[in-house]
Amino acid sequence: MTETREELIQRLEGKASGIRRNIWRALKASGTGHAGGSLSAADILAALYFYKMNVRPTEPDWADRDRFVLSKGHANAGLGATLALAGFVPDSYVESFYAMDSLFGMHPDIKCPGVEMSTGGLGHGLAVGVGMALGARIKGRSFHTYVMIGDGELHEGSNWEAAMAGAHYRLANLTAIIDSNKISQSARVAEVMGIEPLADKWRAFGWEVHEANGHNMTEVIDALDRIPYSRNKPNAFIAHTIKGKGASFAEDTYLWHQNAVNEEIFAKAIAELETV
Amino acid sequence: MAAGVATNDWRTKSASQTRLAFGQALLELGAIDPDVVVLSADTQDLLGIREYIELYPDRFLEIGIAEQNKIGIAAGLATVGLKPYVCGYAPFVTARSLEQVRNDVAYANQKVVIGAAASGISLGVSGGTHHAVEDLATMRSFANMTVIVPADVDETYKATLASIDIDGPVYIRLGGRTLDPAITDPNGAFTLGKATELRSGNDVTIVACGVMVAMAVQAADALKAEGINARVLNMSTIKPLDTDALLKAAAETRGIVTAEEHHVTGGLGGAVAEFLVEHHPIKMRIIGLGDTFAAVGPTGPLRTKYGMSAENIAAKAKELL
Repeated sequence: MTETREELIQRLEGKASGIRRNIWRALKASGTGHAGGSLSAADILAALYFYKMNVRPTEPDWADRDRFVLSKGHANAGLGATLALAGFVPDSYVESFYAMDSLFGMHPDIKCPGVEMSTGGLGHGLAVGVGMALGARIKGRSFHTYVMIGDGELHEGSNWEAAMAGAHYRLANLTAIIDSNKISQSARVAEVMGIEPLADKWRAFGWEVHEANGHNMTEVIDALDRIPYSRNKPNAFIAHTIKGKGASFAEDTYLWHQNAVNEEIFAKAIAELETV
Repeated sequence: MAAGVATNDWRTKSASQTRLAFGQALLELGAIDPDVVVLSADTQDLLGIREYIELYPDRFLEIGIAEQNKIGIAAGLATVGLKPYVCGYAPFVTARSLEQVRNDVAYANQKVVIGAAASGISLGVSGGTHHAVEDLATMRSFANMTVIVPADVDETYKATLASIDIDGPVYIRLGGRTLDPAITDPNGAFTLGKATELRSGNDVTIVACGVMVAMAVQAADALKAEGINARVLNMSTIKPLDTDALLKAAAETRGIVTAEEHHVTGGLGGAVAEFLVEHHPIKMRIIGLGDTFAAVGPTGPLRTKYGMSAENIAAKAKELL
Protein backbone atom coordinates (compact mmCIF):
# COMPACT_ATOMS: atom_id res chain seq x y z
CA MET A 1 0.00 0.00 0.00
CA THR A 2 1.64 3.23 -1.07
CA GLU A 3 1.44 6.31 1.05
CA THR A 4 -0.65 9.18 -0.31
CA ARG A 5 0.73 12.71 -0.27
CA GLU A 6 -1.61 13.60 2.60
CA GLU A 7 -0.53 10.55 4.59
CA LEU A 8 3.12 11.38 3.96
CA ILE A 9 2.70 14.93 5.18
CA GLN A 10 0.81 13.76 8.23
CA ARG A 11 3.50 11.17 8.99
CA LEU A 12 6.33 13.70 8.66
CA GLU A 13 4.50 16.24 10.80
CA GLY A 14 4.26 13.52 13.42
CA LYS A 15 8.01 12.90 13.12
CA ALA A 16 8.72 16.62 13.44
CA SER A 17 6.64 16.68 16.58
CA GLY A 18 8.59 13.65 17.84
CA ILE A 19 11.89 15.44 17.11
CA ARG A 20 10.70 18.51 19.03
CA ARG A 21 9.65 16.32 21.92
CA ASN A 22 13.11 14.71 21.94
CA ILE A 23 14.76 18.13 21.81
CA TRP A 24 12.91 19.18 24.95
CA ARG A 25 13.69 15.84 26.61
CA ALA A 26 17.40 16.40 25.89
CA LEU A 27 17.31 19.96 27.20
CA LYS A 28 15.49 18.90 30.31
CA ALA A 29 18.04 16.13 30.92
CA SER A 30 20.96 18.57 30.65
CA GLY A 31 19.03 21.46 32.20
CA THR A 32 19.99 23.73 29.31
CA GLY A 33 20.71 23.88 25.61
CA HIS A 34 20.10 25.50 22.25
CA ALA A 35 16.34 25.27 21.90
CA GLY A 36 15.82 28.03 19.31
CA GLY A 37 18.00 26.81 16.46
CA SER A 38 17.17 23.16 17.07
CA LEU A 39 13.41 23.76 16.95
CA SER A 40 13.65 25.89 13.79
CA ALA A 41 15.33 22.94 12.01
CA ALA A 42 12.95 20.21 13.21
CA ASP A 43 10.57 20.07 10.23
CA ILE A 44 13.42 19.95 7.72
CA LEU A 45 15.22 17.27 9.74
CA ALA A 46 12.01 15.21 9.75
CA ALA A 47 11.63 15.49 5.97
CA LEU A 48 15.30 14.61 5.40
CA TYR A 49 15.62 11.62 7.71
CA PHE A 50 12.12 10.13 7.33
CA TYR A 51 11.53 10.83 3.67
CA LYS A 52 14.24 12.25 1.45
CA MET A 53 17.56 10.83 2.57
CA ASN A 54 18.70 7.38 1.63
CA VAL A 55 20.09 6.15 4.95
CA ARG A 56 20.17 2.91 6.94
CA PRO A 57 19.99 3.57 10.69
CA THR A 58 21.20 0.06 11.49
CA GLU A 59 24.08 0.40 9.01
CA PRO A 60 25.20 3.99 9.60
CA ASP A 61 28.47 3.57 7.65
CA TRP A 62 26.81 2.18 4.51
CA ALA A 63 28.99 3.60 1.72
CA ASP A 64 26.17 4.82 -0.52
CA ARG A 65 24.19 6.64 2.18
CA ASP A 66 23.23 10.25 1.66
CA ARG A 67 25.28 12.59 3.83
CA PHE A 68 23.99 15.25 6.20
CA VAL A 69 26.34 17.76 7.81
CA LEU A 70 24.99 20.04 10.52
CA SER A 71 27.21 23.05 9.96
CA LYS A 72 25.23 24.99 12.58
CA GLY A 73 26.54 22.49 15.09
CA HIS A 74 25.00 24.19 18.11
CA ALA A 75 21.65 22.74 16.94
CA ASN A 76 22.91 19.26 17.80
CA ALA A 77 19.98 18.76 20.18
CA GLY A 78 17.90 18.71 17.01
CA LEU A 79 20.20 16.29 15.19
CA GLY A 80 20.51 13.97 18.18
CA ALA A 81 16.73 14.07 18.66
CA THR A 82 16.37 12.98 15.03
CA LEU A 83 19.03 10.25 15.13
CA ALA A 84 17.34 8.73 18.19
CA LEU A 85 13.90 8.87 16.61
CA ALA A 86 15.26 7.27 13.44
CA GLY A 87 17.01 4.51 15.36
CA PHE A 88 20.66 5.37 14.68
CA VAL A 89 21.12 5.49 18.45
CA PRO A 90 18.96 4.12 21.26
CA ASP A 91 16.21 6.28 22.73
CA SER A 92 18.27 6.60 25.94
CA TYR A 93 20.79 8.66 23.92
CA VAL A 94 18.38 11.59 24.18
CA GLU A 95 18.74 11.62 27.96
CA SER A 96 22.55 11.56 27.73
CA PHE A 97 22.73 15.17 26.46
CA TYR A 98 25.79 16.88 28.04
CA ALA A 99 26.45 13.85 30.26
CA MET A 100 30.02 12.80 31.16
CA ASP A 101 31.61 10.79 28.31
CA SER A 102 28.43 11.08 26.24
CA LEU A 103 28.62 11.16 22.45
CA PHE A 104 25.73 13.63 22.63
CA GLY A 105 27.29 16.94 23.53
CA MET A 106 26.37 20.47 22.59
CA HIS A 107 27.92 19.91 19.15
CA PRO A 108 27.96 16.88 16.82
CA ASP A 109 30.72 14.30 17.29
CA ILE A 110 31.70 12.14 14.32
CA LYS A 111 32.14 9.21 16.69
CA CYS A 112 28.36 9.09 17.17
CA PRO A 113 26.54 6.75 14.74
CA GLY A 114 24.86 8.82 12.05
CA VAL A 115 27.00 11.93 12.57
CA GLU A 116 29.01 12.61 9.42
CA MET A 117 31.33 15.34 10.72
CA SER A 118 32.22 16.94 14.02
CA THR A 119 31.07 20.53 13.82
CA GLY A 120 30.69 23.46 16.15
CA GLY A 121 33.06 26.14 14.93
CA LEU A 122 30.85 27.98 12.47
CA GLY A 123 31.50 28.15 8.75
CA HIS A 124 33.07 24.68 8.46
CA GLY A 125 30.30 22.43 7.19
CA LEU A 126 29.90 23.59 3.61
CA ALA A 127 33.56 23.03 2.70
CA VAL A 128 33.34 19.55 4.20
CA GLY A 129 30.15 18.99 2.19
CA VAL A 130 31.93 20.11 -0.98
CA GLY A 131 34.59 17.52 -0.18
CA MET A 132 31.96 14.81 0.30
CA ALA A 133 30.24 15.71 -2.97
CA LEU A 134 33.57 15.73 -4.83
CA GLY A 135 34.40 12.44 -3.11
CA ALA A 136 31.17 10.92 -4.42
CA ARG A 137 32.17 11.97 -7.92
CA ILE A 138 35.72 10.61 -7.65
CA LYS A 139 34.50 7.35 -6.11
CA GLY A 140 31.67 6.99 -8.62
CA ARG A 141 28.99 6.99 -5.94
CA SER A 142 25.55 8.49 -6.40
CA PHE A 143 24.82 9.73 -2.89
CA HIS A 144 23.67 13.29 -2.21
CA THR A 145 25.20 15.59 0.40
CA TYR A 146 23.08 18.01 2.44
CA VAL A 147 24.63 20.72 4.59
CA MET A 148 22.47 22.71 6.98
CA ILE A 149 23.79 26.21 7.67
CA GLY A 150 22.38 28.89 9.95
CA ASP A 151 21.68 32.29 8.45
CA GLY A 152 23.78 34.01 11.11
CA GLU A 153 26.51 31.50 10.35
CA LEU A 154 26.74 32.98 6.87
CA HIS A 155 28.71 35.83 8.42
CA GLU A 156 31.69 33.47 8.32
CA GLY A 157 33.56 34.11 5.08
CA SER A 158 34.61 30.47 4.75
CA ASN A 159 31.03 29.68 3.64
CA TRP A 160 31.56 31.78 0.56
CA GLU A 161 34.86 30.12 -0.29
CA ALA A 162 32.98 26.82 -0.24
CA ALA A 163 30.08 28.28 -2.24
CA MET A 164 32.55 29.34 -4.92
CA ALA A 165 34.06 25.85 -5.06
CA GLY A 166 30.66 24.14 -5.18
CA ALA A 167 29.74 26.13 -8.26
CA HIS A 168 33.19 25.81 -9.83
CA TYR A 169 32.92 22.02 -9.67
CA ARG A 170 29.23 22.04 -10.71
CA LEU A 171 28.17 19.98 -7.72
CA ALA A 172 24.52 19.22 -8.44
CA ASN A 173 24.92 16.44 -5.85
CA LEU A 174 25.27 19.03 -3.08
CA THR A 175 22.52 20.98 -1.32
CA ALA A 176 23.00 23.78 1.16
CA ILE A 177 19.96 24.19 3.39
CA ILE A 178 19.86 27.60 4.99
CA ASP A 179 17.87 27.45 8.21
CA SER A 180 16.95 31.11 7.99
CA ASN A 181 15.41 31.79 11.37
CA LYS A 182 16.60 35.42 11.18
CA ILE A 183 18.09 35.45 14.68
CA SER A 184 21.58 34.70 15.97
CA GLN A 185 22.93 34.58 19.50
CA SER A 186 22.57 38.19 20.53
CA ALA A 187 20.07 39.84 18.21
CA ARG A 188 18.37 39.67 14.83
CA VAL A 189 20.83 38.70 12.09
CA ALA A 190 19.93 41.84 10.14
CA GLU A 191 21.05 43.96 13.09
CA VAL A 192 24.20 42.00 13.89
CA MET A 193 25.47 42.01 10.29
CA GLY A 194 23.13 42.19 7.36
CA ILE A 195 23.18 39.24 4.93
CA GLU A 196 20.47 40.30 2.47
CA PRO A 197 19.83 39.96 -0.40
CA LEU A 198 20.52 36.35 0.50
CA ALA A 199 19.02 34.52 -2.48
CA ASP A 200 20.78 36.90 -4.85
CA LYS A 201 24.08 36.22 -3.12
CA TRP A 202 23.75 32.46 -3.64
CA ARG A 203 22.69 32.99 -7.25
CA ALA A 204 25.65 35.30 -7.82
CA PHE A 205 27.90 32.56 -6.46
CA GLY A 206 26.51 30.16 -9.08
CA TRP A 207 23.95 28.22 -7.05
CA GLU A 208 20.36 27.44 -8.04
CA VAL A 209 18.09 28.74 -5.30
CA HIS A 210 14.70 27.61 -4.03
CA GLU A 211 12.95 29.37 -1.17
CA ALA A 212 10.19 27.93 0.98
CA ASN A 213 8.52 28.04 4.35
CA GLY A 214 10.62 25.67 6.45
CA HIS A 215 7.70 24.78 8.69
CA ASN A 216 5.16 23.97 6.00
CA MET A 217 5.74 20.27 5.36
CA THR A 218 4.17 20.42 1.91
CA GLU A 219 6.58 23.16 0.93
CA VAL A 220 9.57 21.43 2.55
CA ILE A 221 8.87 18.17 0.71
CA ASP A 222 8.41 20.05 -2.53
CA ALA A 223 11.71 21.91 -2.02
CA LEU A 224 13.55 18.63 -1.41
CA ASP A 225 11.81 16.79 -4.25
CA ARG A 226 12.84 19.46 -6.75
CA ILE A 227 16.53 18.73 -6.10
CA PRO A 228 18.54 18.99 -8.27
CA TYR A 229 17.20 22.43 -9.08
CA SER A 230 19.30 22.48 -12.25
CA ARG A 231 21.54 20.06 -14.11
CA ASN A 232 24.96 21.34 -13.20
CA LYS A 233 24.73 23.76 -10.31
CA PRO A 234 24.75 23.12 -6.57
CA ASN A 235 21.43 23.65 -4.81
CA ALA A 236 20.59 26.24 -2.18
CA PHE A 237 17.35 25.67 -0.29
CA ILE A 238 16.63 28.78 1.73
CA ALA A 239 14.15 27.69 4.38
CA HIS A 240 12.38 30.55 6.09
CA THR A 241 11.92 29.43 9.66
CA ILE A 242 11.09 30.68 13.13
CA LYS A 243 13.59 30.33 15.91
CA GLY A 244 12.08 28.29 18.73
CA LYS A 245 9.24 27.06 16.52
CA GLY A 246 6.59 25.05 18.33
CA ALA A 247 6.94 26.62 21.77
CA SER A 248 5.11 29.94 21.80
CA PHE A 249 7.21 31.31 24.67
CA ALA A 250 10.46 30.60 22.77
CA GLU A 251 9.51 31.71 19.29
CA ASP A 252 11.28 34.45 17.35
CA THR A 253 13.54 35.69 20.11
CA TYR A 254 17.28 35.60 20.71
CA LEU A 255 16.50 34.95 24.38
CA TRP A 256 15.89 31.33 23.44
CA HIS A 257 19.10 30.84 21.48
CA GLN A 258 20.44 28.99 24.48
CA ASN A 259 18.54 28.75 27.70
CA ALA A 260 17.92 26.84 30.89
CA VAL A 261 15.10 24.29 30.83
CA ASN A 262 13.42 23.12 34.02
CA GLU A 263 10.46 20.82 34.69
CA GLU A 264 7.97 23.66 34.37
CA ILE A 265 9.26 24.85 30.99
CA PHE A 266 9.47 21.26 29.78
CA ALA A 267 5.85 20.60 30.75
CA LYS A 268 4.73 23.78 29.03
CA ALA A 269 6.60 22.90 25.83
CA ILE A 270 5.30 19.34 25.71
CA ALA A 271 1.73 20.52 26.38
CA GLU A 272 1.98 22.86 23.39
CA LEU A 273 3.29 20.05 21.18
CA GLU A 274 0.38 17.85 22.19
CA THR A 275 -2.27 20.42 21.39
CA VAL A 276 -1.04 20.84 17.79
CA MET B 1 53.08 3.23 -13.84
CA ALA B 2 53.99 6.82 -13.25
CA ALA B 3 56.90 8.21 -15.23
CA GLY B 4 58.77 9.13 -12.08
CA VAL B 5 58.56 5.61 -10.74
CA ALA B 6 59.45 3.92 -14.02
CA THR B 7 62.56 5.96 -14.65
CA ASN B 8 63.45 6.39 -10.99
CA ASP B 9 64.42 9.98 -11.72
CA TRP B 10 62.62 11.50 -8.77
CA ARG B 11 65.87 12.45 -7.10
CA THR B 12 67.01 14.47 -10.11
CA LYS B 13 63.66 16.15 -10.45
CA SER B 14 63.62 17.05 -6.78
CA ALA B 15 66.64 19.26 -7.46
CA SER B 16 67.77 19.21 -3.82
CA GLN B 17 64.51 20.74 -2.62
CA THR B 18 62.27 18.87 -0.21
CA ARG B 19 59.15 20.64 -1.48
CA LEU B 20 59.73 19.08 -4.92
CA ALA B 21 60.51 15.65 -3.47
CA PHE B 22 57.02 15.70 -1.92
CA GLY B 23 55.51 16.22 -5.38
CA GLN B 24 57.67 13.43 -6.79
CA ALA B 25 56.52 11.03 -4.07
CA LEU B 26 52.90 11.85 -4.93
CA LEU B 27 53.55 10.43 -8.40
CA GLU B 28 54.39 7.10 -6.89
CA LEU B 29 51.50 7.22 -4.40
CA GLY B 30 49.11 8.10 -7.21
CA ALA B 31 50.29 5.02 -9.08
CA ILE B 32 49.96 2.58 -6.20
CA ASP B 33 46.79 3.82 -4.50
CA PRO B 34 43.63 4.83 -6.42
CA ASP B 35 42.31 6.64 -3.33
CA VAL B 36 45.06 9.26 -3.36
CA VAL B 37 43.72 12.74 -4.19
CA VAL B 38 45.91 15.84 -4.37
CA LEU B 39 44.67 19.33 -3.52
CA SER B 40 46.30 22.65 -4.33
CA ALA B 41 45.65 26.24 -3.29
CA ASP B 42 47.27 27.71 -6.38
CA THR B 43 50.44 25.92 -5.26
CA GLN B 44 51.04 23.61 -8.23
CA ASP B 45 54.65 24.63 -8.88
CA LEU B 46 55.53 25.23 -5.24
CA LEU B 47 55.19 21.50 -4.56
CA GLY B 48 56.09 20.30 -8.04
CA ILE B 49 52.84 18.54 -8.82
CA ARG B 50 52.30 19.39 -12.52
CA GLU B 51 53.44 15.90 -13.53
CA TYR B 52 50.96 14.38 -11.06
CA ILE B 53 48.16 16.56 -12.45
CA GLU B 54 48.93 15.39 -15.99
CA LEU B 55 48.88 11.74 -14.99
CA TYR B 56 45.91 11.83 -12.61
CA PRO B 57 43.67 14.74 -13.60
CA ASP B 58 40.62 13.06 -12.07
CA ARG B 59 42.36 12.82 -8.70
CA PHE B 60 43.52 16.39 -8.53
CA LEU B 61 41.53 19.33 -7.16
CA GLU B 62 42.59 22.94 -7.55
CA ILE B 63 40.82 24.86 -4.78
CA GLY B 64 42.20 28.30 -5.46
CA ILE B 65 43.71 30.69 -2.96
CA ALA B 66 41.47 29.57 -0.12
CA GLU B 67 43.26 27.52 2.53
CA GLN B 68 40.31 27.19 4.89
CA ASN B 69 38.23 25.76 2.09
CA LYS B 70 41.03 23.46 0.98
CA ILE B 71 41.37 21.86 4.41
CA GLY B 72 37.60 21.50 4.89
CA ILE B 73 37.23 19.89 1.47
CA ALA B 74 40.14 17.55 2.21
CA ALA B 75 38.41 16.44 5.42
CA GLY B 76 35.18 15.82 3.49
CA LEU B 77 37.06 13.74 0.91
CA ALA B 78 38.64 11.70 3.70
CA THR B 79 35.22 10.84 5.17
CA VAL B 80 34.37 9.18 1.85
CA GLY B 81 37.46 6.95 2.08
CA LEU B 82 39.81 8.95 -0.11
CA LYS B 83 43.35 9.86 0.95
CA PRO B 84 43.82 13.59 0.41
CA TYR B 85 47.31 15.08 0.09
CA VAL B 86 47.13 18.82 0.58
CA CYS B 87 49.80 21.04 -0.96
CA GLY B 88 50.25 24.35 0.77
CA TYR B 89 52.47 27.13 1.96
CA ALA B 90 53.44 26.33 5.55
CA PRO B 91 52.59 29.82 6.86
CA PHE B 92 49.11 29.86 5.31
CA VAL B 93 48.01 26.25 5.56
CA THR B 94 48.78 26.22 9.27
CA ALA B 95 47.79 29.73 10.34
CA ARG B 96 45.04 30.81 7.97
CA SER B 97 43.25 27.47 8.19
CA LEU B 98 44.29 26.62 11.74
CA GLU B 99 40.71 26.02 12.90
CA GLN B 100 39.94 23.77 9.95
CA VAL B 101 43.07 21.73 10.63
CA ARG B 102 42.13 21.48 14.28
CA ASN B 103 38.39 20.74 13.96
CA ASP B 104 37.83 19.10 10.58
CA VAL B 105 41.08 17.15 10.43
CA ALA B 106 42.56 16.59 13.91
CA TYR B 107 39.42 16.59 16.09
CA ALA B 108 37.42 14.58 13.54
CA ASN B 109 40.56 12.42 13.10
CA GLN B 110 40.51 12.32 9.31
CA LYS B 111 43.38 10.96 7.27
CA VAL B 112 44.55 14.14 5.59
CA VAL B 113 48.25 14.60 4.79
CA ILE B 114 49.42 18.20 4.67
CA GLY B 115 52.56 18.95 2.69
CA ALA B 116 53.70 22.35 3.94
CA ALA B 117 56.34 23.99 1.77
CA ALA B 118 58.23 27.20 2.48
CA SER B 119 58.49 26.50 6.20
CA GLY B 120 60.65 28.34 8.69
CA ILE B 121 62.38 31.38 7.21
CA SER B 122 63.12 29.62 3.93
CA LEU B 123 61.35 32.41 2.07
CA GLY B 124 63.65 34.89 3.75
CA VAL B 125 63.17 37.85 1.46
CA SER B 126 59.39 37.50 1.56
CA GLY B 127 59.35 38.75 5.11
CA GLY B 128 57.40 37.82 8.19
CA THR B 129 54.05 37.25 6.50
CA HIS B 130 55.62 34.37 4.58
CA HIS B 131 57.71 32.87 7.37
CA ALA B 132 56.31 29.85 9.21
CA VAL B 133 57.98 29.75 12.59
CA GLU B 134 55.02 28.68 14.71
CA ASP B 135 53.73 25.71 12.71
CA LEU B 136 55.46 22.97 14.71
CA ALA B 137 54.08 24.45 17.92
CA THR B 138 50.51 24.44 16.65
CA MET B 139 50.55 21.21 14.67
CA ARG B 140 52.12 19.09 17.39
CA SER B 141 49.70 20.45 19.98
CA PHE B 142 46.79 18.81 18.15
CA ALA B 143 45.84 15.35 19.35
CA ASN B 144 45.83 12.68 16.62
CA MET B 145 48.34 14.63 14.51
CA THR B 146 51.62 13.11 13.30
CA VAL B 147 54.35 15.70 12.61
CA ILE B 148 57.29 14.96 10.33
CA VAL B 149 60.19 17.25 9.41
CA PRO B 150 62.32 15.53 6.77
CA ALA B 151 65.98 16.57 6.65
CA ASP B 152 66.53 16.32 2.91
CA VAL B 153 65.11 15.18 -0.40
CA ASP B 154 65.65 11.45 0.20
CA GLU B 155 64.00 11.52 3.58
CA THR B 156 61.10 13.60 2.23
CA TYR B 157 60.46 11.08 -0.50
CA LYS B 158 60.52 8.14 1.92
CA ALA B 159 58.46 9.91 4.60
CA THR B 160 55.81 10.94 2.09
CA LEU B 161 55.53 7.35 0.85
CA ALA B 162 55.33 6.15 4.45
CA SER B 163 52.52 8.59 5.23
CA ILE B 164 50.07 6.52 3.18
CA ASP B 165 50.06 3.93 5.97
CA ILE B 166 49.57 6.37 8.85
CA ASP B 167 46.06 6.07 10.26
CA GLY B 168 45.20 9.71 10.95
CA PRO B 169 46.25 13.25 10.03
CA VAL B 170 49.85 13.99 9.10
CA TYR B 171 51.82 17.22 8.81
CA ILE B 172 54.97 17.08 6.65
CA ARG B 173 57.14 20.19 6.92
CA LEU B 174 59.05 21.10 3.76
CA GLY B 175 61.58 23.69 2.68
CA GLY B 176 61.35 26.65 0.38
CA ARG B 177 63.02 27.67 -2.85
CA THR B 178 66.53 27.19 -1.48
CA LEU B 179 68.66 24.05 -1.62
CA ASP B 180 68.26 21.49 1.13
CA PRO B 181 71.63 19.69 1.32
CA ALA B 182 71.60 15.89 1.23
CA ILE B 183 72.50 14.50 4.64
CA THR B 184 70.61 11.24 5.18
CA ASP B 185 71.72 7.80 4.01
CA PRO B 186 70.17 7.19 0.59
CA ASN B 187 70.03 3.47 1.39
CA GLY B 188 68.58 3.94 4.86
CA ALA B 189 64.92 3.48 5.68
CA PHE B 190 62.55 6.06 7.11
CA THR B 191 60.92 4.74 10.26
CA LEU B 192 58.15 6.86 11.71
CA GLY B 193 58.92 7.95 15.25
CA LYS B 194 62.55 6.85 15.11
CA ALA B 195 65.51 9.22 15.18
CA THR B 196 68.59 8.29 13.19
CA GLU B 197 72.08 8.75 14.57
CA LEU B 198 74.24 10.54 12.02
CA ARG B 199 77.29 10.98 14.25
CA SER B 200 78.11 8.97 17.33
CA GLY B 201 79.57 10.53 20.44
CA ASN B 202 79.27 10.56 24.22
CA ASP B 203 80.20 14.13 25.16
CA VAL B 204 77.17 16.03 24.03
CA THR B 205 74.10 15.40 21.84
CA ILE B 206 72.73 17.58 19.07
CA VAL B 207 69.10 16.87 18.21
CA ALA B 208 68.03 18.55 14.98
CA CYS B 209 65.34 18.46 12.35
CA GLY B 210 64.90 19.67 8.79
CA VAL B 211 67.59 21.79 7.24
CA MET B 212 69.31 22.14 10.62
CA VAL B 213 70.38 18.48 10.52
CA ALA B 214 73.08 19.20 7.95
CA MET B 215 74.32 22.07 10.12
CA ALA B 216 74.29 19.80 13.17
CA VAL B 217 76.58 17.37 11.35
CA GLN B 218 78.89 20.22 10.34
CA ALA B 219 78.96 21.35 13.93
CA ALA B 220 79.77 17.83 15.16
CA ASP B 221 82.59 17.52 12.66
CA ALA B 222 84.02 20.86 13.79
CA LEU B 223 83.76 19.80 17.43
CA LYS B 224 85.48 16.52 16.59
CA ALA B 225 88.50 18.49 15.39
CA GLU B 226 88.62 20.01 18.87
CA GLY B 227 88.41 16.59 20.50
CA ILE B 228 84.74 16.82 21.42
CA ASN B 229 82.55 13.88 20.44
CA ALA B 230 79.07 15.08 19.64
CA ARG B 231 76.23 12.70 18.90
CA VAL B 232 73.88 13.91 16.18
CA LEU B 233 70.29 12.72 16.11
CA ASN B 234 68.08 13.49 13.13
CA MET B 235 64.71 13.79 14.87
CA SER B 236 62.64 13.78 11.72
CA THR B 237 59.47 12.75 13.52
CA ILE B 238 58.53 15.45 16.02
CA LYS B 239 55.37 13.61 16.98
CA PRO B 240 55.47 10.87 18.07
CA LEU B 241 58.86 11.77 19.52
CA ASP B 242 61.60 9.12 19.78
CA THR B 243 61.77 9.21 23.54
CA ASP B 244 64.02 6.14 23.74
CA ALA B 245 66.73 7.93 21.76
CA LEU B 246 66.35 10.97 24.02
CA LEU B 247 66.60 8.94 27.23
CA LYS B 248 69.70 7.24 25.88
CA ALA B 249 71.26 10.57 24.92
CA ALA B 250 70.40 12.08 28.28
CA ALA B 251 71.97 9.13 30.08
CA GLU B 252 75.07 8.84 27.93
CA THR B 253 75.99 12.46 27.14
CA ARG B 254 76.39 15.60 29.22
CA GLY B 255 73.85 17.86 27.59
CA ILE B 256 71.50 18.27 24.65
CA VAL B 257 71.38 21.02 22.05
CA THR B 258 68.31 21.15 19.86
CA ALA B 259 68.32 22.95 16.51
CA GLU B 260 65.32 23.83 14.35
CA GLU B 261 64.25 26.52 11.91
CA HIS B 262 61.31 27.58 14.07
CA HIS B 263 60.50 29.87 16.96
CA VAL B 264 62.23 28.62 20.12
CA THR B 265 58.81 28.18 21.70
CA GLY B 266 56.90 25.01 21.16
CA GLY B 267 58.84 23.27 18.40
CA LEU B 268 61.44 20.50 18.50
CA GLY B 269 63.25 22.07 21.45
CA GLY B 270 60.00 22.40 23.32
CA ALA B 271 59.05 18.81 22.64
CA VAL B 272 62.44 17.49 23.76
CA ALA B 273 62.45 19.69 26.87
CA GLU B 274 58.90 18.75 27.85
CA PHE B 275 59.83 15.10 27.78
CA LEU B 276 63.22 15.29 29.44
CA VAL B 277 62.22 17.62 32.25
CA GLU B 278 59.87 14.92 33.47
CA HIS B 279 61.90 11.82 32.71
CA HIS B 280 65.58 12.71 32.75
CA PRO B 281 66.35 16.39 33.40
CA ILE B 282 69.55 17.46 31.72
CA LYS B 283 71.19 20.70 30.63
CA MET B 284 69.85 21.90 27.33
CA ARG B 285 70.24 24.67 24.77
CA ILE B 286 67.44 25.41 22.31
CA ILE B 287 68.49 26.89 18.98
CA GLY B 288 65.90 28.56 16.79
CA LEU B 289 64.39 31.95 16.14
CA GLY B 290 64.11 33.90 19.40
CA ASP B 291 61.04 35.86 20.41
CA THR B 292 61.03 38.07 17.36
CA PHE B 293 59.80 38.12 13.80
CA ALA B 294 62.72 37.57 11.46
CA ALA B 295 63.94 40.41 9.28
CA VAL B 296 63.87 40.37 5.50
CA GLY B 297 66.97 38.85 3.99
CA PRO B 298 68.52 36.05 1.94
CA THR B 299 67.71 32.78 3.68
CA GLY B 300 71.26 31.57 4.39
CA PRO B 301 72.57 34.74 6.04
CA LEU B 302 69.22 35.21 7.75
CA ARG B 303 69.55 31.82 9.43
CA THR B 304 73.04 32.77 10.61
CA LYS B 305 71.80 36.14 11.90
CA TYR B 306 69.39 34.38 14.23
CA GLY B 307 71.81 31.70 15.39
CA MET B 308 70.62 28.92 13.14
CA SER B 309 74.13 27.98 12.04
CA ALA B 310 76.71 25.23 12.52
CA GLU B 311 78.93 27.70 14.36
CA ASN B 312 76.26 28.53 16.91
CA ILE B 313 75.34 24.88 17.38
CA ALA B 314 78.99 24.10 18.15
CA ALA B 315 79.26 27.08 20.50
CA LYS B 316 76.12 26.11 22.42
CA ALA B 317 77.29 22.49 22.60
CA LYS B 318 80.51 23.62 24.27
CA GLU B 319 78.53 25.53 26.90
CA LEU B 320 77.16 22.20 28.11
CA LEU B 321 80.52 20.52 28.70
